Formats: sequence, C-alpha cells, structure tokens
Amino acid sequence: MSYGAKSALCAFFAVVVSAVAETDGVDRKTQPPAAPLPAATFPEFKEATLDNGLKVFLLETDKQPTVSFRLVIKAGATVEGGKHGLAEMVATLLNKGTKNLSAEEFARQADRLGISVEAAASDDAVYISGTGLSKHAAEVLRFLSEAVLHPLFPAEQLEKERVKALSRIEAEKKEPAALAGKLRDQVVFGDHPYGAHATSDSIQKITRADAVQFHKKYFVPNNASLAVVGEFDREKLLPMIKDTFGSWKRGKAPSAPALKAKVKGVKIHLVDRPGSVQSNIIVATSGIPRNNADTPELSVVNSVLGGGFSGRLFQNLRERNAFTYGSSSNFDQRKLGGVFSATAEVRNEVTGKAVTEILNELKRIREEPIPAPELDLQRQYVAGNYLLSLESDRRNLERVQDIDLFGLPKDYYQTLVSRIREVDPNEAQSLARKYIPPKDVAIIVVGDADQIRPQLEPLGPVTIYDADLKVKR
Amino acid sequence: MRAQSKFVLLCSLLATLSVAAQGALPATETPGLGKNIEFTEYDLPNGLHVILHQNKSAPVIATYVLYHVGSKNERSDRTGFAHFFEHLMFEGSENIPRGRIDKLISGAGGNLNASTSFDFTDYHFNVPSNQLALALWVESERMLHAKVDETGVETQRKVVKEERRRGVENRPYGTLFENLAAMVFEGSPYEWTPIGSAQYIDQAQIGEFREFYKQYYVPNNATLVVAGDFEVEDAKRLVKQYFADIPRGPEIPRPEVTLAPQSGPKLKVIEKENTPLPGALHAWRGPTETSPDAYAVDLLTNILARGRSSRLYQRLVNQEQAAVEIQAFPSLLEKAGMVGVFAMGNRGVALSRLDDLIKEEIAKVREHGVTPEEFEKARNQKEMELASAFGSMQSRARSLARYHVFYGDTNLINTELEKYLSVAREDLQRVANEYLKPEAVNILHYPVPEKAAAPEGEAK
Repeated sequence: MSYGAKSALCAFFAVVVSAVAETDGVDRKTQPPAAPLPAATFPEFKEATLDNGLKVFLLETDKQPTVSFRLVIKAGATVEGGKHGLAEMVATLLNKGTKNLSAEEFARQADRLGISVEAAASDDAVYISGTGLSKHAAEVLRFLSEAVLHPLFPAEQLEKERVKALSRIEAEKKEPAALAGKLRDQVVFGDHPYGAHATSDSIQKITRADAVQFHKKYFVPNNASLAVVGEFDREKLLPMIKDTFGSWKRGKAPSAPALKAKVKGVKIHLVDRPGSVQSNIIVATSGIPRNNADTPELSVVNSVLGGGFSGRLFQNLRERNAFTYGSSSNFDQRKLGGVFSATAEVRNEVTGKAVTEILNELKRIREEPIPAPELDLQRQYVAGNYLLSLESDRRNLERVQDIDLFGLPKDYYQTLVSRIREVDPNEAQSLARKYIPPKDVAIIVVGDADQIRPQLEPLGPVTIYDADLKVKR
Repeated sequence: MRAQSKFVLLCSLLATLSVAAQGALPATETPGLGKNIEFTEYDLPNGLHVILHQNKSAPVIATYVLYHVGSKNERSDRTGFAHFFEHLMFEGSENIPRGRIDKLISGAGGNLNASTSFDFTDYHFNVPSNQLALALWVESERMLHAKVDETGVETQRKVVKEERRRGVENRPYGTLFENLAAMVFEGSPYEWTPIGSAQYIDQAQIGEFREFYKQYYVPNNATLVVAGDFEVEDAKRLVKQYFADIPRGPEIPRPEVTLAPQSGPKLKVIEKENTPLPGALHAWRGPTETSPDAYAVDLLTNILARGRSSRLYQRLVNQEQAAVEIQAFPSLLEKAGMVGVFAMGNRGVALSRLDDLIKEEIAKVREHGVTPEEFEKARNQKEMELASAFGSMQSRARSLARYHVFYGDTNLINTELEKYLSVAREDLQRVANEYLKPEAVNILHYPVPEKAAAPEGEAK
C-alpha cells in the first residue's frame, strides 16, 4: 500500500482518511486471474446385485459418523390405477404398523436412537430413507426393512392418514404455488397419470386392500435399488444387507402407460384466487424424459434462459423490470416425459406484461444466437455448480440411483462436465429451437381474475378454473 | 438478498424458525462423533475477524461474511432497512460495474446468496477451489466501496415489495411470524421482522443508505470465514492483500433490548381470506441464544414435537386427530428469545380444541417434567443432528462465524454437544416452569373464514 510500512499509524489514520488505499501492489481494478477449474471426479462407489435382483450401491465417505440408506421402488403414481394419492398413502403408511412394530412402537424405538425412517412417493417411484449414526447402522437397517418388507397397513392408521390427507388437499386449494403446479401438470400431461392429482374424492376411495395390493405387486427387489452413503464398513454392511433383503421375493416389474399428450397452440389457464396480491405464472410446454440424450447440453441452454441470477428471465423480469422477486426456468424430466416451465410471481398490475416478457425471452433464445461471452458464463456456471454439488453425499446417492431408475448411460456423471463445456452457440441455438417452442405453450396463472383477466385476454384464449381446478364456465 | 434465496426467518411458515437455533458439530472425543473441525482465527489491525478452515475433501471453497447488523439495529420508522440494504450490496462497487457481481461469481462456476435476520446479515459464495482470489476480491470490494445509484435503489424497492407479497401477504399464514414478533417482543427492536414494512423503504433517502453503510459495513463489524480446499498461507496472504487496507469504521452502537414484564396472557386473532385450516400458535418469551438455559429449552422442544413419538404429535396428531401437523421451536436471538408451539388443525377442528390440547400438554411437562426415556431420546436425536449438521463447507463457514460473533467461542463447533449432554433431566422441567408459564403465553389464532354467501355463482 502507498502508506508503506507505517502500519500501526496507518491503522489509526485510516479511520480519518476515507479515500483509499492501494495494497502492496494489489490490483483492485481487475478480476484476479484463476487457474483452470479443478477436475470434477464423481465419487467411487461399489455396486452389487443380490440374487433376487436388488441392486445395491455403496458410497463410503468419512466426513461424518452417520449413515443414510435410500431404497427406491421403481413404481409410483403412474401405476396407481386411477386411485390418485394411493402411492403417497402407501408410502405414508409404511412405518405406521409393521409385522413386529406398532406405529407407536416404531416411532418410539426409532426416535429413541435418533433414527429416522421416512417415505414419499413421486410419479415414478416410492422412496424410503433411513438415517442414523454409524454406530446404529444395523438398527437403521432393521427399521428400514420393517417398513419396506413388512408393513401391515392397519385400517385404523389408514383412517388417520386419510383425515390428514383430506386436510392437506383443502390447504393446497389456498396455496397459489400448489394450485399452479397441479394445473400445469393437468394441462400439459392431459389424461396421463402425470397430469392427475389427488382429490377429496380419490382419497375417499382408497381402501386398505388397495394399499396392500400396491405393496404386494410393486415392492419387489428386481424393481428396486438400495443405496447407502456415509461412514460404514463395507465388508460388514454388505452381508447385513444380504441377510436383511436377500429373502425378499422377486415379482414382475410394472409397466406404466405411455405418455402421448403434447401442448399445442397458446392457451391461458387462469385459476381464480380472489384477493391474491400476486399472480403466479408458469409458461409451460411439453418437455423430455430424464434419459433424453440432449440433457447435458440442454441444461446450459436452460441456464442461459432461466438459470440463477444471471439468467435472462431473472435479468429481464427482476433486474430490468422489477416485476418480481425471482424468475427462472427448468426442465422437469421424469421417466416417461417431462415439462418445461418458465416461472415468476408478479404483482397483479404487471401480470400481462410479465407473461409477454417471458414469451419474448423464449423467442429470443430461439431466434438469436447466444453471444459467446454469455454462453461461456453459463457453461462455467453449470459445470462449476455441478462440481460444487459433488460435495453433497446425499445428492451423490440420488445420482447413483437415478442412473438405474431413469436408465441413464453408466458414465453419465463422469462425462457430464466435458459435455457441458463443449456446447457451442450453434448447438445451443438448435437445441433451443428444438425444445423451447413459444407458439406451443400453456400459460398457467393463479391470481385474482377480476384484476388480471383483462391483461391476459389479448395474449390468447382464457379458460378460468376454480380452486378444484375444474373449468369454471 | 437476492431472489430465490432464503430469507431465513420468513420463508415457509415456521419450518425454518428453528434453523436460527441450530447447533454445531461435535468434538473428537465425545461419544460417537466425528472429526474435529480445525480452524485458525485472527484479527486484522482494522478489526476484521478472520477464520480459516481447511478441508480438502472436495475442490470447493465457501466464503462467508457476517456483518453484525440486522433488523434490530433499525429505527422503528425504517423497518426493513437492513434487509433492503442487503439487496443493494449486489449492485456493484468502485471497480465492479453495476450488475456484475453475480456474473463474476457465476461465470467462475460458483453461486452466491445472502440473508438478513434480526441480529445479522450474511453473504456467502461457494466457488470451485481455483477461485478463492475472486471471491475475496469481490467481498472486499463491497466492504471497501460498494456503489449504489438511484436506478438500483428504485429497482430493488420494487423487488423487495414483491418479496414481501410473495412471502408474507400472498401465502397462507404468511403473516404469522410478524404478528408473533409484535406480540412477544412488543416495545423492543425485535417487534418487527427483517422484511419490515414497504412504506419505510420508500421513505428512506439515499443518504440514509450511505450512513448505514459507513456505520455498519466496516471491518470492525465483520467476520470473514473461508472454508474448504486451499492452503492456509495462500488464504492469509490474499485476505491481507484485499482486506487489510479497508479503513476501520466507528464504534458500533449495540441496541438494548428491554422487554416490559408481560402482565397476562395475550390473544390475537388474524382473519385472512386465504387461511385454509385452523392454525393456533402458542408462544412464550425464552432465553437468549447464549443463555445456559438455551440447551435445555432446545431439548425440551424436541421432546414436545420432534418425531412421531413426541408428546404433541402423539396427542394432537395421533390420538386426538385434531391436527395435521405440529411444530415446536425455540427462536433464540442475541438479546431475547421465544419458544413457540404451532398446531395446524384438521378440517373443522375448533381453535379452542387446539388451545386446550396444547395447554394440557404444556401443563403436564411443567408439573411432571420428562421421563428418563424421553430425555435419552432427546440427547440421541441431538447427537444425530449435530453429527450430520456440517456436511458442506458453507454450513461450516456459517457456524464458525456465528459461534465467534454471538458466543465468543468459535470452537463451539466442536464442543456444542457437550453443552447439550451436560443438561440434567431436571433442567427440562425447570425451564418449562421458568418460560412456559400460562400467564405469559401469547396466542395467535388463524381461523378459517366463514364461507361467504354464494361465492360460487358470483360473476367474475
């Protein structure tokens, strides 16, 4: 710094001297140079398949003395046969009464050791996780196997969970984000199970026999995988897993109905929520399945459009127009297909303008080549953030199982970074043209229809829905 | 802060409230716990406190800057100011043009965010390990000479109003926390929440922002943590290079928080069109986060509501089927604290029913304390929680900073479990009686609105 070595005095004077202060040759004016991005190495894991077909993945880490099991049943809401909410109900009941433990005992004994066993269902799978301290690994496995292999689905527990499920459905009718998400799927996926959601009626119809049947039919080892991450001894754990799950009987892997629906034309779907002070907007179109071969490159294109704070949607709708707190886009990629969404939550009076700006950005990314510096920034962002995410054991565990669940190439995560970095402007633009069609979009809006409908009508035909997501007129 | 970020104390209902009271990692020799988190800490002559934690398990670095200023430092006619200012810190600096900060960090493969709470404001970057210099340069730029112009202020005024609509006004129970703070902390600078009131942000002049910056965004009010894959000597050199010449600022005024004694139970009913299920919240004043009672209070709330074997879950959700879900949380702050219990009722359940059940369960724990089995459970749950709390460099950086600033003991990251394990079972009953007094309860009700006459057929 220019004050040289008189640092003791300087520290004092600096209080007064407000003009500042170059440090020992430090160049404050320009971005410091950096070495190249470090290599992203996906953590090593061991894979085994039990005789009954159960795939097992073991990911040993030494950061924390904990262990997490995650069992994936590759069947979810797509195979619930019209009883919407059944897969989730099955998941909820897994730890509420088993061959050896009543619901209360299960909770009491697991909680007592700080062990948690939780389950949830998605469209494509049921996920059951068990976590605890490494020293309790055998116990975690025991609770997990009770839930997965020996649930009894007691009628009394089903009734309790039914009451809660009905309340939650009621609650979601007032939550704008929940309404928008459900209507989006309904519109984009049509009659396919991906488009359905649980209703009071469908929850009322679920019987104990349905739950038992779902479990019997779909909880089979050759349609499942089990992954473990954390601090454990592989030599001991694998035999324990074999002992616990080895006698699980094989069954038939299910097949889900094919997805055919496609969004055509521009239509506006407005959920009337009187009193809303914001409009939740989703501009949606038909997307792609998780194993689509363009996924890595497309993730860069999506990031240019709506990833992070430097994405175009954020820059336009927030930083330039101040319509919203946030705006982003994403490809939700499920097993059989998916949906692309561009979203924002904006004040009532700018709802129409915000939709127009989102559509403008969809057009721009198709029609204009992405400037090289912008594409470079986003390639770095996507590759770097993938690298950062490798820090999370949990995410890595999910990735290992996703390869199996969604049928990804074995080396998907090993080659991801190089593919992200090699996207060039031509390829980016052709991907944008292929996957982002502003002329075939469903525009979902949840808001106060009285206030926002006139702004939306010039953009396309408007259908109005009530909170049950039924067409109002 | 930037969007899509976590406005820690306001987002998603109450789920996040307890985040503020979360703990740390375990020490080497304590039962069942993992490796010590090693760190070096020192002060620069200008007062900046620096904490360096090296860990090479992944090629990532988290930088974290905590400014010891939050909403409790605000004037009552400028609520929301600290949070608003946080947004402005992303505008630029003398050497970084407006709008470039995210582009620099994202373009380096990183990500960033910030948050504002009652007591502090924090800024964090996660970057690949080749970008430490960049991260320190950017943070030092905005500590030394952040630059904000009218365009930025005008834009962020509108953005913050959208943030408020989104988090508070447009979502069910979104006003819960601000009503709660107003009741429990009435008459103190904790009575408003960090998101504040939009009208005051409009009234603030640009000169006020400059004053605020000169007063609080100074090295002697800041802690810098670097955690992850770097060489300590490199980090020390870079920290010195970028931060040493930032001038020390004035002494920092620390607001006093004095709460007048509560004269009796309070009840407030919040009528909102968008309330879907009956909600009842009971809250009491609690200890400060550094009070020795904090650990006992935390264990007590776990026994009340953590897991499906907890008392409130068993009673309200399982046995009586009165509630869809329950939560209990300590929200313990630097100079005050609160403990709350929230029940979201099933459809058609009367609020008075939820009240009665909560009161009964709280009375039981006051009168009879907790069982040995419950006590053992709470200790084991805490051990598990702390063992899994520090997987990421960002979580380590944040905790190291908070332990230094608010507890004056950075090494709590390694020893906090001992504090929990030194709590006696009897302490839980004692703190229940000390804090969860029936005459000092604050109750909030969110009733489901009566069905308006014929909204169905109404033409829109």
